[in-house]
Amino acid sequence: MRNCAKRIYLFLMVLFLYLPIFVLIVASFNDSKILGKWNGFTLEWYKQLFDNASIMNALRTTIVLALLASIIATVLGTLACITISKMKKSTKSIVVGITNIPMLNAEIVTALAFMLLFVGLGISLSFSTVLIAHVTFCIPYVVLNVLPKVSQMDNNMYEAALDLGATPFQAFYKVTLPEIMPGILSGFLMSFTMSIDDFIITHFTRGSGIDTLSTKIYTEVRKGIKPEMYALSTLLFVTVFVLLFLVNYGPKTKAKKSFTTLIFKNKVTVAISMCVVIIASVFGYNLLKDDKNYIGDVYVYNWGEYIDPAVIELFEERTGYKVHYEEFETNEEMYTIIAKGARTYDVICPSDYMVEKMIENELLAEIDYSNIPNISNIGTQYMNSAQGFDPGNKYCVPYCWGTVGIMYNKNMVDDEVNSWGILFNEKYEDNILMQASVRDAYCVALSYLGYSINTLNEDELKEATDLLVAQKPIVQAYVVDQVRDKMIKNAAALAVIYSGEAIYMQKENPDLEYVVPDEGSNVWIDGWVIPKDCQNKEAAEAWINFLCEPEIALMNFEYITYSTPNVAARELIEDEEIRNSQIAFPDESILSRCSVYNYLGKEGDTLYDYYWTMVGGAESD
Amino acid sequence: MGNKLIDLQGITKSYGKQMVLDDLNLYIRENEFLTLLGPSGCGKTTTLRIIGGFESPDKGRVVFDGQDITDLPPNKRHLNTVFQKYALFTHMTIAENIAFGLKIKNKSKAYIDDKIKYALKLVNLDGFENRMADSLSGGQQQRIAIARAIVNEPKVLLLDEPLGALDLKLRQDMQYELIRLKNELGITFVFVTHDQEEALTMSDTIVVMNQGYIQQVGTPEMIYNEPENAFVADFIGDSNIIPGTMIEDELVEFLGTKFRCVDKGFGNNKPVDVVIRPEDVELVAPEKGTIKGVVTHLIFKGVHYEMEVMAGGFEWLVQSTKMSPVGAEVGIKVDPFNIQIMNKPESEDEEAVGVDE
Repeated sequence: MRNCAKRIYLFLMVLFLYLPIFVLIVASFNDSKILGKWNGFTLEWYKQLFDNASIMNALRTTIVLALLASIIATVLGTLACITISKMKKSTKSIVVGITNIPMLNAEIVTALAFMLLFVGLGISLSFSTVLIAHVTFCIPYVVLNVLPKVSQMDNNMYEAALDLGATPFQAFYKVTLPEIMPGILSGFLMSFTMSIDDFIITHFTRGSGIDTLSTKIYTEVRKGIKPEMYALSTLLFVTVFVLLFLVNYGPKTKAKKSFTTLIFKNKVTVAISMCVVIIASVFGYNLLKDDKNYIGDVYVYNWGEYIDPAVIELFEERTGYKVHYEEFETNEEMYTIIAKGARTYDVICPSDYMVEKMIENELLAEIDYSNIPNISNIGTQYMNSAQGFDPGNKYCVPYCWGTVGIMYNKNMVDDEVNSWGILFNEKYEDNILMQASVRDAYCVALSYLGYSINTLNEDELKEATDLLVAQKPIVQAYVVDQVRDKMIKNAAALAVIYSGEAIYMQKENPDLEYVVPDEGSNVWIDGWVIPKDCQNKEAAEAWINFLCEPEIALMNFEYITYSTPNVAARELIEDEEIRNSQIAFPDESILSRCSVYNYLGKEGDTLYDYYWTMVGGAESD
Repeated sequence: MGNKLIDLQGITKSYGKQMVLDDLNLYIRENEFLTLLGPSGCGKTTTLRIIGGFESPDKGRVVFDGQDITDLPPNKRHLNTVFQKYALFTHMTIAENIAFGLKIKNKSKAYIDDKIKYALKLVNLDGFENRMADSLSGGQQQRIAIARAIVNEPKVLLLDEPLGALDLKLRQDMQYELIRLKNELGITFVFVTHDQEEALTMSDTIVVMNQGYIQQVGTPEMIYNEPENAFVADFIGDSNIIPGTMIEDELVEFLGTKFRCVDKGFGNNKPVDVVIRPEDVELVAPEKGTIKGVVTHLIFKGVHYEMEVMAGGFEWLVQSTKMSPVGAEVGIKVDPFNIQIMNKPESEDEEAVGVDE
């Protein structure tokens, strides 16, 4: 009886620990993009994964980084252990304590410290800075594994080797090293695992053009996680699992001797194969650069999933520039990187209010339109809208745009939807999804109340806040990404959503309908800007000009599904329904009801954040 | 026994402020079994490590076979060490352990194989070639450590408390084993121990050390029977050490009584220490003894009884095969040649040499 209870308890424990991973693994083999809907087994996502050049590039970077970092950390850490073991007891415990702290320290603190250090020393972030950071955080793990082995080892062993005629080098190589080898191997494998695993430190210390698997996955998350990311995460989990298994069970099992001896006896083989991997990777990396018509580099910083990858290849082919493409998740994150000068990019794609903020902080360079003849393809109405945050259109070329509106399920909503008011109707209790973003939430409330969505009037804000607080009990959730899946699966009736997503969702579930309420709403514009510290303005302008070509803009529109401001491209859309879609291209009357978000200034941001905390929208998620 | 093989000349060594060896002079003859004996911290291990080359002296010279080897690293010295905790290489098999030194010297495979067989036979562990070191018992590991050292045909084998970690029975077996090995190999053994019984059993020569100084050098018999000072007397076996006065040659007074003895040349009316071994004290009928006393304690020790007798204001330690019950009145008698007279320490230097009490 007790045994049975024990077993059930153990089973529940394991289930609790591994169920999420199990779901992920199952999802990676699911022949459906929608979570929770099993369409049969497929390896399609794995295939797509391996066909994706940027992911494979990230994989290579991850492996080279992990190998280099763990090798360097293992050598340094092992030498440190030998020194530490020779120290006096009191000094030793202090030093061991110091080496342990980085492991317990919050990773974000370490990451920020590294970034500040590098930026402070004027070292621009690059592969080397990530490597240095990784070596640093790996060393404690090496010490953790090697030091006990060194301390355990009878110091007389080394002397015995000398006594038997070995030189100090021979004694170290033939006796000390093999004796502590199990520790060194564990340390190496653990460092390797930690390096592969790391996201935060990599994220803060990497230079432009460098992506590891974890940073890649993170940036992909913005547009909703694609199933190939499940496949990648599954592979990552399996790799880490195998490595940890080796660390924990390899040296301890009966096969200990043979395992260690195997590795050690075959050290030459191991060393050679490692060198081969590293050289091949580095060489492969360089091969990419050795394009025949290579004329320079361009560093692009864009939202995740915000371009058709084929467009990048076409641009490289057409112009001879090598594109170093990087993605960000939020405007704020991008702003920090640029404002701190941590990484430099040639061309960036922020949103309207962020463009305004960057202009105000003098981070942008004026665009020379003589280099962008294709600007004529951009509709004047959009250039006019852009004046709302970029007076005179000096800094920003619109790339994508859209409205914020209500998506509803025809079968679940029987009232007419033409006002934000429907979101406050108790009839739809627990069927309403709100956007977990301060500006979008206030856009709903302020528009409904008839106020400007950029208001700084405290009374108006207060009123909007009261409205949102009162609404909260009937809201199912404040969400970011789940909104798509929930609406497609009929799990909610009404949702605040961006027009670009609406098109995709309608395709998946024809019962969904999109409306921009009569009270007006937000029209947002993301556009290309060139930062002041850009290294290659010519390339940046070539990039912008290229994206303004109608055929290219069309490719992007079809890939991203967000509305394009490129009128010439719109003309090329074959599907009449889409070309005339009120969602993708609402007519003038709808647009005139909408306004852009303005940069509110530091005080404005604080004010909104203050009221937003009262709503507690983000927490309810 | 042959010529001087190792000669330590004026060796001084200190760690920080702590003086470990002070102007130590000692020679070791060829084919000698020499034991460095003393309590922990007396400098015996340091002396051994200086001979082995693991420590270098602050002052003084180490001469080996006529050559100054003071600055020679351990791997260039023609001697091998057996360490206290064996220090076998745990990642190697027994055969690989034994072959280690020979492989370093690039000996042929056939030669090495022969040597391994021979060495294992010598230490009675044939057939252990492919075992791993940590699968062996302490005693077996000890023998392998010896085998690993002797295949290199050293002129001197240094042994640092090699029996310390073994249990009593095994320790006694290994003592005989070591004597046998030494006789078969015909090489010099320098042995470090704090166990006086071990030293007395095996050694040709014993060097008693305390606080960095040599207290006495001699054969086991000399050390035991004629300790030169109270420390040696106390450290080697049990002793009754009684302050007294040398009245004249062959007559000493202690505990208010005059005793005949055989020592001469101390001068008249000089303060001395008198050493009497407990087994040399005879318990007789009260009226037949030199002094009278009462038995206060009695313990049965197997081979003999051990008694404490209060006599003349001193608690005597007595060992005898004849038992006297607690409370019995006895007389104490000592043969003149069993009374050992020692000078009392006078100068500061001698004080340091003296008993640490």
